[in-house]
Amino acid sequence: MWGRTMRVPEAGGWAVEFNSVTRRYGKRVALDSVSFVAEEGSVLGLLGPNGAGKSTLLGTLCGLQTPDEGFVTWFGQNEHVPLPKALRKRMGVVTQDTALYGELTVRQNLRFAADLYGVSNPRKGVKEVADLLGITHRLDDAVGELSGGNQRRVAIARSLVHDPDLLVFDEPTLGVDIETRHAIWSHVRLLRNRRKTVVVSTNYLDEALALCDRVLLLKNGRLIEQGKPGEILARTGRYVELDCTPEVAQAAFATLDGQTEVEGLSVGESGLTVRLTGSADPNRVVEMALAVHHIEGFRVRAPDLLEVFQSLDDSLPQPQLTDV
Amino acid sequence: MSDWWAACRAGMRLQTQQFMKGPLLIVLTVVEALTFLALVSLFGLTGSKAPTALVVNDHSPLTASFVQDLAKDHDSFRLEPTTLAIAKQRLAAGSVVDILTIPKGFGASVAAGRTVVLPVTIDNVDTDLTDDIQRALPAAIQTFGLQHHFNGIRLAPVEHDLLSYDTAYVPYLVVSALGLDALVVAGALGATAMAGEWENKTLVQWRLSPSPMSGLLIGKLIAVVIVSTLAVWVAALLVFFGYGVHPHDAVGTLAALALCCVIFTALGAVVGNLLRRTLPVAIVFFGIALPLYIDSGSLEPERFDGHWLWFFGHATPVYAAVGVLQNTVHGLRVTPESIPVDLGILTLWALFSMAIAYLILQRSKAVR
Repeated sequence: MWGRTMRVPEAGGWAVEFNSVTRRYGKRVALDSVSFVAEEGSVLGLLGPNGAGKSTLLGTLCGLQTPDEGFVTWFGQNEHVPLPKALRKRMGVVTQDTALYGELTVRQNLRFAADLYGVSNPRKGVKEVADLLGITHRLDDAVGELSGGNQRRVAIARSLVHDPDLLVFDEPTLGVDIETRHAIWSHVRLLRNRRKTVVVSTNYLDEALALCDRVLLLKNGRLIEQGKPGEILARTGRYVELDCTPEVAQAAFATLDGQTEVEGLSVGESGLTVRLTGSADPNRVVEMALAVHHIEGFRVRAPDLLEVFQSLDDSLPQPQLTDV
Repeated sequence: MSDWWAACRAGMRLQTQQFMKGPLLIVLTVVEALTFLALVSLFGLTGSKAPTALVVNDHSPLTASFVQDLAKDHDSFRLEPTTLAIAKQRLAAGSVVDILTIPKGFGASVAAGRTVVLPVTIDNVDTDLTDDIQRALPAAIQTFGLQHHFNGIRLAPVEHDLLSYDTAYVPYLVVSALGLDALVVAGALGATAMAGEWENKTLVQWRLSPSPMSGLLIGKLIAVVIVSTLAVWVAALLVFFGYGVHPHDAVGTLAALALCCVIFTALGAVVGNLLRRTLPVAIVFFGIALPLYIDSGSLEPERFDGHWLWFFGHATPVYAAVGVLQNTVHGLRVTPESIPVDLGILTLWALFSMAIAYLILQRSKAVR
């Protein structure tokens, strides 16, 4: 079983360090002086809307692109593109497109990857990663015949076949069903437990919360926030949805407007949305509303990705909420 | 170096597996080689003899002798004796291109030294056959006159051949066609193999891995060379045994075809890396194949086709390939350049194409 034989890297240190990295395409700045570190044995999430610079960042991290300014170090070594073979052997990458040979079987795809990375016992390596990803029973099926989710699993298996220390996953759960999504999450957690470093880009906030030790928030090539997901959420604050008629919502708006716990308010067809400050107690806000209005129901929720970005970056339009 | 060989083996195994997943492609590759052979054979066979309705109104021995000379005239007439009425119907229906009438009293008039008028009615819908008839009829008349020692004919050609043997048109064409086969089969397969990597975005795997890209590329192309060579060898066997062309140097011919497949596979890899889509590469190869074939000395030595055509012929490897193949099969030297020079040119083309294919891969920023 792969889990038993997987090599565990030495503890401590940084797997990757970006130091004021800038990357331009003509006049367009894809990455603007981005600095961060990915600690060894951690999962680093990369969040941002389309065009934020996630793929450019991952491309630079993989050595497919060269920074125009700044530098990147891998495992403490400042290297230049093309990256040395020894470093490439320590990296496993899953691209958005999966980049699999659809006409070949799962086994043949994994074997090719094993050949590319000079795996000493490719047959064993293929079996181990197939077992790990739960695709052993599909080893002799053509990849093109598999579902999107299973193709993702194959792509992840391929990235693991040479037992790398640093894994780069570009939106690994894009377009997969919820079951596969959770399966992929558990694989990522397993990798973290084995002290592998994982850098994962995603569009899903819940994924970042579920998986990542730290997250980077990118917008227009700029790093606008980084930290632990819980800390960022705490800074963003939670949301309370109050179910009521529009008339009651207007009245509740007047009641809650100006309260210290309240960051923003928005009246909608189905009621009132209240954005709380980071430290606010949602129960107190609900009690204030219930005391004077007929509220049919309520729920407390975390912000979605857009709301996080809106709260962190004032330049973004905020159509949903009226700031107090 | 062991890394390079390992990469080469990986690339070769990959392409072989891809071929094995689509055996129909291999079958179609062989069929393609044979259909191109058929295409050029038909080119040589069609339009060479004008279907001619012959209306004979005189039955003298001289008339019979003249008809024999018409029939023997090289690749000119397919004579179909008939009556004038039927001949007119057939000309109108388009089943003959002309009516040649031998008038009553032809033999007596010729014997008496009088000029005889030979009426010829021609369907000049395409001047190609019209031109053939205009050339062939005087030639037959001249042969007839020389044979019977008519007064007034004072010139007689005496032929001295450079070679001790003749090479017929179709046997010449089909040998050049093997060069065309190599171009189309190896070129299209090489181009498709590489374009597929771009199309499926699988090249990013190559780029990310520690394996040398040159090893992967060459390994993949070796598999293409093997398949295309086998396909072209099948066509060569058809030429040897089906067309009855006995090769001057059979082993040399097969080796030359293998070399052609190496060059054209490498050229295909360049095209595939440039176009990066499988559909356009097939169109490109089918589009360029015939012009390159015609301008390579495939129908006759290219040096006879005028300075500019000859000059452009040198710009493609097909010219040197046809030169080598005509030498190995028929023992001919159809290029002024020697065979070692032609082989050197072909080798340089192979190395140059491989280097370009590699550089495109290595330098392309699109491999992400």
